[in-house]
Formats: sequence, C-alpha cells, structure tokens
Amino acid sequence: MRFNEKELVCLSRQPSEMAAELGMRGPKKGDVVKRRLVKLVVNFLFYFRTDEEEPIGALLLEQCHVEREDSQTFSIAFLDEAERKYLFECDSEEQCKEWMDSIIKASYEFMRKNLIFYRTEIHRLTGKDPLEQYGISDETRFQVNSGSQLMTRDTSSL
Amino acid sequence: MKFHEKILTRFLSCTSPVDKEGYLYKKKERNATYYRRWFVLKANLLFYQERPADRHLLGVIVLEGCTVQMLDSDGFFPFALQFGSGLKTYRFAAGDAQTQGRWVKALFLASHSYLSGLLRVLGRQYEGVSVDILSKQQQDSTNSCSTFKSLSPPTNSLLVPTLGPFPLVREGRSFSASAALPPPSMPTKMAAKKSPKKWPRRNAHVTPLNGPAPLYGEWPLVGSDPLVEFSKLHDFYGQEVQKAREEWLRSQQTEKEQSEKDLIDLG
Repeated sequence: MRFNEKELVCLSRQPSEMAAELGMRGPKKGDVVKRRLVKLVVNFLFYFRTDEEEPIGALLLEQCHVEREDSQTFSIAFLDEAERKYLFECDSEEQCKEWMDSIIKASYEFMRKNLIFYRTEIHRLTGKDPLEQYGISDETRFQVNSGSQLMTRDTSSL
Repeated sequence: MKFHEKILTRFLSCTSPVDKEGYLYKKKERNATYYRRWFVLKANLLFYQERPADRHLLGVIVLEGCTVQMLDSDGFFPFALQFGSGLKTYRFAAGDAQTQGRWVKALFLASHSYLSGLLRVLGRQYEGVSVDILSKQQQDSTNSCSTFKSLSPPTNSLLVPTLGPFPLVREGRSFSASAALPPPSMPTKMAAKKSPKKWPRRNAHVTPLNGPAPLYGEWPLVGSDPLVEFSKLHDFYGQEVQKAREEWLRSQQTEKEQSEKDLIDLG
C-alpha cells in the first residue's frame, strides 16, 4: 500500500511536547525492549533510534487501547489484537501517566467526540450552533450522531 | 519507515464515521494520466482503491501539513493537495464543479490540526458560557444550587499538544486549514496537570544533522487571536465555495441555452 512517506517523515520532525526516550517493546513474541525516541505528533506515534533523523516506524493512534501495565509501564493494543501489545517503559509513574493521557487525547475520534460535546452544550446553553459562523454546521464530520452511517456518496459524479 | 498497514486497514474498515467517499480522478505522477479511483476520507486519512468493493487498498494519504488548492480549468474540475517545497503535490479531478467544491471543503476540514484548532476555540467559548451561567446562578436566589446542573466536559483537559501551524501558501486560491492557529494556551481551569519533568529532554526534538530545519512547520505569530484567524480562514474558504457554485450554475445555464438553441436551429 502506497503512502506519502516523505511527507510523514517531515511530519515526524515537527516539534512536539510529547517526545522522550522510552523503552519500547514490539508486540511479537521474542521482541525485546529497546531504547527509542518516541514522539507523539497529531494522531501518530513515531519512534526513532535515538540518534537518527528518520523514524523507524509510525503507529496510527486510532481504535487503540491504552493500558497501564505497572507503575512505570503502559501498553498500546490495537483493535482485534488485545494480546499483541506495544509496551513502553517510562522513567517515572508521572511520565507514564502523562504519556497515556496524551496518547488517548491525541486520537482524532476522541477529539471529534469532544467537539460534538462542546457543540451540543454551547447550543443548549446559548441557543446558537457555534459551528454556524464557520459555515460548517452541515458537515457530516461534525454531526452529533456521527456514529451512524452518515456518509456522503458521490457515485453519480463520474 | 514502517507504516503499520494493518492498523490503517483496520481503521478504514471499523465503524468509526466515514467523512466522505466517492469517485475522483487521480493523476499518476509519472505519465500525467488521470485514473479513476474510489476515495474514502476518514478522519485525517484519505484512502484510495480501484473500486468501492475492493479489498485491496492502493494507498493512503495522511492529510497533515498540506494545503488544498482549487485549480482552474475549462470543462475540467481539478484540485490539488500540496505538501510544500520538496514534497509531493497530489492532483485530482472531479466530474463537476459541485463535487470539486465538496471535496475541496472536506479535505480542508480533515486535518488533525484543524480539529484541534476548532476544539480550542469551542473550548474557550464553552468555558466562557459556563462561567457566565455560573455567575448568573450565584447572583440569583439562595436555593439555586440544587437546580444547577453540573457542566463538565468528558475530560479535564482537552488541550492536546499540537503542531505549530504550517505556512500559508497563497498561490492563487490555495489555503491551509492550520495556517494561523496559535499554539495551545492552557486556560487555568482546564490545564492538564503539568508537573515538572523529571526525565531528560535531550534528543527530544529530532532536528536534521546537516542544514537548517525544514520550513514546513513554522511557529505561529505570538499573540494572534485564534477566533479572528479562524474566521478569516473560513471567510476565505467561503468565497471559494461560492465561486465554484457560481461557475457550476453558469455552466448549467450555458448548457441549457445550448440545448434550446439546438431545438430552434432545425432547418
């Protein structure tokens, strides 16, 4: 599957508040903990060898489950594969908490839910839809019941 | 770089909302030919495959750090996703102006940066409204406490660290959704529990070993008001959609006139 690699690498080099050296272990049997520079940029977790510019890999942080493994370790598991976890060893309990928190909140779907919450509440409290002034109140992307099959199909155009 | 395809394909097929899907033509870089592809836009990812029923995904485009450009052309409805100097420009074409306008808008709104900017703005608005209501309630009678409904968002901190904005590319009619958004400011009430960092910050920012840092991703203007910048972007965008709509209507009108003309010139 093709993807815009160069652009992603560029993205991974953007400044990020959540960037630190952590112990990282892959999900496969036999994977060992390795020291990696782990960096959270938008909804991606990039990981680098500590002195390299280009990331080894990128994990999309959607539909994933973040769990505390012990006081300084957390894991990320992706849909369907609860046993296949990526493990991250932090230097302190605090650091561990902060990473878990940041990863959960970086998810696009999480942010969308918050947006819908704000939109609904502001509308309820003020009687006005806050998205109207931006001309985006009809966008399916920001709909209140966007969990259902609200899709815009353009099959007729071509 | 490994891009963990399985995670992506699972995300595509899971039940989270599809933001837009449909056929578009995509230009192949090498031979300058347009191929029809089925596109699925989900969150900040644009997936494409040959047909909707296909299990095989041809590719995905991560929509961060790009500007959406509506391009001009007669009888042809192109637009592009531009990623900045030295980086790719993806070219597409729609079948009509309306589709073109809709996709341009959808792509413009798709980035994570856009959503986080919007979230910041609404968060502040919500806070302002809640405070107003709180103070009004307190001003009112003594027994207002029991009727006051707790207004708490799903979490105590919604201000996720985000990227600095990308440079606004003003070539013709292109624009970036995240161009003018300032870095997150933590309102005192909803600040994350920021305790002093105890781990080393060495190597926290990976910068190139040779040469300057890439232009792509400049720090925002200090002190700019997110609300003002955001409205500006939307006004600018709104004009684009209006233009596209007018062009489409005009083309409809010309078609209509043409067919009427043909009806008359029979002899």
